[in-house]
Amino acid sequence: MGQITDIMDGVVFVDRGGAIAMLNAAAEDLLGAKAFCSIGQPLSALPGRADLLAAIVADHARMAQEREASRTVEVHADAHDLLYIRCDTRVVNDHLGQPAGVLTVLRDVTASFKSDQLRNQYLSIVAHELRTPLTGIKTFATMMTKGRLGPLGERQQAACESIREQAIRLEHQIDKLINLGNLESADYGQDREVCTVASLANGLLEPFEQPARGRHIELTLAVEGGDEKLDADRSGLRRACQALVENAVKFARDGGRVAVAIERSGDDLRFRVRDDGIGVDPRYHRRIFEKFFQVEDPLTRHHGGAGLGLFVAQGIVEAHGSRIEVSSQLGHGADFSFNLPLQRQGRAAAAASAATEQRA
Amino acid sequence: MTTQRTVLIIEDEKLIIVSTQMVLEAAGFRVESATNGEDGIAKAKTQSPDLVLLDIMMPGIDGWETLTRLKKETATANIPVVIFTAREHSRGHQKSAEMGAVDYFRKPFEPDELIDLVEKHAAVKA
Repeated sequence: MGQITDIMDGVVFVDRGGAIAMLNAAAEDLLGAKAFCSIGQPLSALPGRADLLAAIVADHARMAQEREASRTVEVHADAHDLLYIRCDTRVVNDHLGQPAGVLTVLRDVTASFKSDQLRNQYLSIVAHELRTPLTGIKTFATMMTKGRLGPLGERQQAACESIREQAIRLEHQIDKLINLGNLESADYGQDREVCTVASLANGLLEPFEQPARGRHIELTLAVEGGDEKLDADRSGLRRACQALVENAVKFARDGGRVAVAIERSGDDLRFRVRDDGIGVDPRYHRRIFEKFFQVEDPLTRHHGGAGLGLFVAQGIVEAHGSRIEVSSQLGHGADFSFNLPLQRQGRAAAAASAATEQRA
Repeated sequence: MTTQRTVLIIEDEKLIIVSTQMVLEAAGFRVESATNGEDGIAKAKTQSPDLVLLDIMMPGIDGWETLTRLKKETATANIPVVIFTAREHSRGHQKSAEMGAVDYFRKPFEPDELIDLVEKHAAVKA
């Protein structure tokens, strides 16, 4: 107990009866409550920082169904200053494996939160600065490629197409840079609009066409139901889809194939990417979606990348109430897919609310 | 016969104005431009464009402020505005819709998607 009183993190333990059994000094500071008048009380009865306490009470209530919850709460420290407190809550079992109570660890993460904000702001400005000239390059190259600025000779046509292709690859790299800035973002997949399947699929493979050609990989896209609509974060979903395609191309065999399909599956839209590459050992099927995780195989180390693609993609797909599933055996290619509900007329509102709920 | 429709681009980057103008003029639109929010509002009043393409990151008043003022003025309140941005904005679609914009469009863009968007929102004149 002495150690717990001394550690820097705030610790609050509520027993299975709902009474506070322990509150250390750091937790007193963060919550603005005193231990001596808190022990034996329910959390909801504590005087102190109301917004922080309300968040913890809500997480404790969730422990009836879940085993752990984490969140960062914005707290008004005084009139001018905000604090960011990270709250990790979990169920603690007794020696019989029965729930003994709920433990919450509180940590002041204001400094790192603020530096994350600065980093995100910086990356967002860099992205803007890069996208502006790129808009000019892409627009002019596209207009020339399409012959709208006059007829081109064969070699000029090829050169313009290549400029356009490179611009699109750069655009994709800038999007990935933004992913770095949004790692903990609650904004994943939140920028909803009603869009068509076709608008999701248009030009989806373009950033990967040249790298695929260079390794003689046959890269195909089959789209079904292009006029169907869905309520989605279109650019987020495109980013998620592209992360799967990029991975598939990266790990496909030279001279192999990557097949992308956007197809109907009942009332859902299924997005599916299959490759015939080195595959993923089933014991890594969960871990590949973790942040910065890379399968540590000397054969695959040269593939590079930051280990963020699948992590970000899963975050975006989860924000749409779904999950990316993987089916793969080492040496036998991989099959990544996820489903999203399509909008039906008169069901639009229901679909929109269903999309925010977690689907089984 | 329909008269030519006018698009007003409010955007501080000349390069974006020139390239966007080229796309829209090739598709048969007349294009006006302003390089800051104040000039843009003034031009929207005098030119009554059929659509405004509005950048967000501009020196002086930014795109959100420009949008608010366009929607407040009787002379410009009914002109459809499309947000035209190269930066990530948290829930950009919702935010622009709530503030009265008809659409939200990212740079870099596909020229054909821009033309479709302008066709969709710039009302056809008899």
